[in-house]
Amino acid sequence: MVFGLARSSLRCLGFARSLARWRKPKSTRRLFCSQPGLQDLFALPALQRFLDQQQEEEQRQEAGARRGGSALAALARRLRRKEEELGDTERLAREDENEDLRKLAETEIVFCQEEIAELKRQIMLHLIPSEETDESDLIMEVTSGVGGQEAMLFTAEMFDMYQQYAAYKNWNFDILEYAPSDIGGLRYASAAIAGHEAYRQMKFEGGVHRVQRVPKTEKQGRIHTSTMTVAILPQPNEINLTINPKELRIETKRASGAGGQHVNTTDSAVRILHIPTGVVSECQQERSQIKNKAKAIQILRAKLYNMKLEDESRKRETARKIQTGTKGRSEKIRTYNFPQDRVTDHRISRSVHHIEQFMLGEELLDEMIQALGEYADFEAVMEVISESDLTRLR
Amino acid sequence: MTVFYSSLWRKLWCLSPYCGHLGVIFARGCVLHPCHRLLRQYSHSKAGLVTAAELVSYWQDVFEANEIPEARASSEYIVSYVLGAKTFQSLNAGNISPYFSVQQQEQVEQLCAKRLQRMPVQYVLGEWDFQDLTLKMKPPVFIPRRETEELVTLVVDEECRKRLPSSDCKEPRLPPETHGPVILEVGCGSGAIALSLLKKLPHSKVIAIDKLEAAVNLTKENAERLNLQERVSVLHHEVSSSSWKYLLPWGLVDTIISNPPYVFHEDMTHLATEIHSYEDLGALDGGSDGMNIIREILHLACYLLKDYGSVFLEVEPRHPEMVKNWLRGHPDLSLVVCGTHKDFCGKLRFLHIQKHGR
Repeated sequence: MVFGLARSSLRCLGFARSLARWRKPKSTRRLFCSQPGLQDLFALPALQRFLDQQQEEEQRQEAGARRGGSALAALARRLRRKEEELGDTERLAREDENEDLRKLAETEIVFCQEEIAELKRQIMLHLIPSEETDESDLIMEVTSGVGGQEAMLFTAEMFDMYQQYAAYKNWNFDILEYAPSDIGGLRYASAAIAGHEAYRQMKFEGGVHRVQRVPKTEKQGRIHTSTMTVAILPQPNEINLTINPKELRIETKRASGAGGQHVNTTDSAVRILHIPTGVVSECQQERSQIKNKAKAIQILRAKLYNMKLEDESRKRETARKIQTGTKGRSEKIRTYNFPQDRVTDHRISRSVHHIEQFMLGEELLDEMIQALGEYADFEAVMEVISESDLTRLR
Repeated sequence: MTVFYSSLWRKLWCLSPYCGHLGVIFARGCVLHPCHRLLRQYSHSKAGLVTAAELVSYWQDVFEANEIPEARASSEYIVSYVLGAKTFQSLNAGNISPYFSVQQQEQVEQLCAKRLQRMPVQYVLGEWDFQDLTLKMKPPVFIPRRETEELVTLVVDEECRKRLPSSDCKEPRLPPETHGPVILEVGCGSGAIALSLLKKLPHSKVIAIDKLEAAVNLTKENAERLNLQERVSVLHHEVSSSSWKYLLPWGLVDTIISNPPYVFHEDMTHLATEIHSYEDLGALDGGSDGMNIIREILHLACYLLKDYGSVFLEVEPRHPEMVKNWLRGHPDLSLVVCGTHKDFCGKLRFLHIQKHGR
């Protein structure tokens, strides 16, 4: 039921967008008052029920056992009190006989409203669940899909786009694998991307990207549809994931015989097998073998971490439109339609024009990614609320 | 010779200032077979235009036909180098598809001609990577091997361990972070070990010695290219010489590191042509038991090393046992093997020796 509610109230994205604006600490309080989205969200009976429930729960057990429960309950209580205060003051402003008092009440109302907006903003921040991967760096893998050489050409263009986007965001972009095709396309590549909020933002790029255009290789001017896939793997830190070195089989080009000074080989490719899972990674980007090994381990760690996260998330099935991990990977998320000069993201039904500019990996791509982030935040909040609603009804 | 009338061959033939040389090789008929395939391949592409991938497989075939070791890798490294990349896998789509210019094809050909004479790829390119560094390589200065990267990692790990607060306090007051270790490298060659240590340990200082003047000059040149010359003192010095006092510009040293010549003399004849014909054999030949220089270093360690200082050596897999025995017979040196480590092939390759206080 709640979900239906969310969908209907969400038809326009402005709603989600306003939600994201609250995240930004620098936005002034005044701004919130003019956010219709805020009022709408707080008008949802589900949210009201959720906040009530938080308070009840807190009364039942003093130490808030639930995540952020007690802080949230406190905020909800303060919000309720402020709203009552506002109601009283409004009555005062309307009905009091003394004009000075009415004026005073009116100024009071403005303060009240500002405080309410701030409280609501804080409640929202509590509701957006934080994730272990929020601060992570990532490894991006791109793979060409349906469409032969044209798909590979598109994959190369997409890889360039993300490389430029990383530069635009001031992130580090380190290519780990790169398997080009003969005519300048790209079969497969991976890169390590590191920087502020890199994973948080890039995670929405995972999925199937579709291109519609007349390929360079097409002689009769027909429009083809081809695909490529992006996978975004969060990079674990030392604490998130530990690997027992004994579980790794590191394969290198072994020299026959004595090794060391006796031979001079140049092949420095490294392949690593994680024996318990059979996961394999390899690197031959570098002339230094030890650097290839370090990069191969980095890839392997990201793959294993991703598996671990997926195991965890499989347990909590979600119906979100924006999925990360394997669930999102097989989904067609975006279409690049060249004849119409349009890029459409199917998850949020958002279209932008000027493909070439979009594929420069600057403002247009960034706006799309921000919109997705905002929508994902909104969905996350709705999920928290609806989950709790379901438990309550049960 | 009929096969050589393939378009690519004609192209290469006309371009090459090395015609004469290649001609000799081809005349032997070695490369006939690959050209059959090439003929088919190139009939599809426009005459005169070659891409990186095509060039790589062409030269791979030529190398294979001439029994050049690592034919594929050699061809890839050379083609990538001409395109300004380090490996074929690191070429991006942008520079892999365009056709090679005449000059570039010429350059590839010149470099491949050197490789055909069994020159090691590292000398052909004039540079190679070691750990995080790209170093200039010049014959006959010894080319650093893959195993030696692990030797550097061992020392760096050990240094980090020492600096952890929880380390045992045999050395009660560790110098502050701004005073890193003083390291002596014996037989610096191209400077690979010394310079990557300086890079990884920002407060360290290194004295690097070599008996070959070309090596001393190359280490100096590499140090300057990497802007590390301030913290390294490169000296032309024979380890067996009796005057060692001037090796102590910064006092006794914390660590001695070396990849000394350790090949048993009788094994020298089995070395590949690449090594035999191009590298300074003095950097490899360790005498009848491969220990000539190892013994010199251990003698020197006794004078130059601080108490509890370490010696790290890359050795032959038979050496760890031999060195242990030898040290037992020389208790006056106050040195003891405190660790052995295997290389990536699982061979005993590295020795960690420590000096105990007297």
